[in-house]
Amino acid sequence: MRIDNAYFTRRKFLNSLLGGWLGTLAVTFISPIVKFVWPPYKEPDEVKLAFADYSGMKTGEVKNFPWGNKPGLLRRAEDGSFIAWVGVCTHLDCNVSWMPDKKKFFCACHEGWYDENGTNVAGPPPKPLRRLETAVEGEDFFVRKPVPGAKA
Amino acid sequence: MKIDLKKVGAWFDDRLALTPIFKYMTKKEVPQHSHSIWYYTGSSILLFLMIQIVTGIMLALYYKPTLEGATASIGRIMTELPLGWLVRSIHSWSATFMIAFVMVHLLAIWFTKSYRKPREATWMTGMMLLVVSMVFGFTGYLLPWDDLSLSATKVGTNIPAAIPVVGKWVTQFLRGGDDVTGDTLTRFFLFHVCILPLVIFAILVVHILLVQKEGMSVPLKDEIAKKKVPALPFWPNFILREVIIWMVLLGTLLTLALVFAPSLGLPADLMAPAPEGVKPEWYFLFLFQTLKIFPANMGPVTGEFVAVVLILLAVVAIFFLPFLDNKPDKKKGKIFTWLGVLGVIYAIVFSIWSLL
Repeated sequence: MRIDNAYFTRRKFLNSLLGGWLGTLAVTFISPIVKFVWPPYKEPDEVKLAFADYSGMKTGEVKNFPWGNKPGLLRRAEDGSFIAWVGVCTHLDCNVSWMPDKKKFFCACHEGWYDENGTNVAGPPPKPLRRLETAVEGEDFFVRKPVPGAKA
Repeated sequence: MKIDLKKVGAWFDDRLALTPIFKYMTKKEVPQHSHSIWYYTGSSILLFLMIQIVTGIMLALYYKPTLEGATASIGRIMTELPLGWLVRSIHSWSATFMIAFVMVHLLAIWFTKSYRKPREATWMTGMMLLVVSMVFGFTGYLLPWDDLSLSATKVGTNIPAAIPVVGKWVTQFLRGGDDVTGDTLTRFFLFHVCILPLVIFAILVVHILLVQKEGMSVPLKDEIAKKKVPALPFWPNFILREVIIWMVLLGTLLTLALVFAPSLGLPADLMAPAPEGVKPEWYFLFLFQTLKIFPANMGPVTGEFVAVVLILLAVVAIFFLPFLDNKPDKKKGKIFTWLGVLGVIYAIVFSIWSLL
């Protein structure tokens, strides 16, 4: 039945109302399920390490540290500062290792190479290793995600 | 008290209406011609699927899907439980046989063009079964949780992330977070023993019903010539031949499983560098090699993205093959046969290349 000058019939109006209502109900049920299945576990914004473990590193030496659930890499630069990277390949996420004799980082999965500055130099990696920032505060040694927009 | 079996049978038949099914089985015929051998590949896949179910349930009785316990629990299965090493070996070998036979089954249908009208839907459900079987293999490969399986899983689950917008979401779903962790292992176990079995059964039922509905396909040239192809009764003649083939396959499987049992590496360390020689299962090798040969960047996008899109396009094209190859008896049909041959050569060459 259509009332004069109405855009749609009464049945259509009621069906849309009911449909929209059922749809909303479905979303209310499904959204918590989706939230549960896709957990909020992200990588950390920063990790706190003991500076004493790393202060003795020689120039050019590379050490690993735990960056959440994956390895981080730390290299002592020529000026005595520390450079940190996330230790996973930018190609397909395999953990990379430091090759001291070649002075390069190597990913064994698809033979990717990075130089000592973390720049991708050979193989499939599309980007340099992801840089992290370091800061010494008293006895603590912080490794942090760089602030977006700021120069690393 | 004497039980009248005939009466019991009649009671069940009355309630379950089994007579039409038995009647169908005794009436069903299988055509006999020079390509009949390929009809047996389907039931061989079923044999391996049944072996997977039985050995899989056995392994799941003792396997622990946790970061701390996974490798050790498989070690225990292999060293402490009576014939546990053999159960695992059969499960691993039967997976290989199942995938191999799925591939042979697919190629046989491709080259005989049995997917032509009216069997398009049978082909499409078959393609889904192939994909599900490969996901079964992929999820099962992680479960031993040694260093090789960890790296293979990191690579495999990172591949969807190459696709913009939705890719990252898929990767997080597979991993249960941004990284591969103990949660990934638990998730993969759940996929492997609960979700995928439900999915494979649902599709399999449709696939088999479609095969029964349309009957076996006869060779294209006989169909065009409207030639009457001689046929073999399904029961008992065809079944008997199937049983003979099953026995031969079972013997081969057991022999291989006895002699070449799979190894077990050290438990995976999330922090350790990827080991040398990371390889997926053999049926992923050609895809692995394809990913490897693409350059890091191709113009504005990564080489990985291009590779993933090409692989997805190929899968979609094969899924819709019956519609692309819609004139199987014409010159166009020949082109698709040769594309199939090229595909096989590509897969073999790239697989061998990845091992060099």
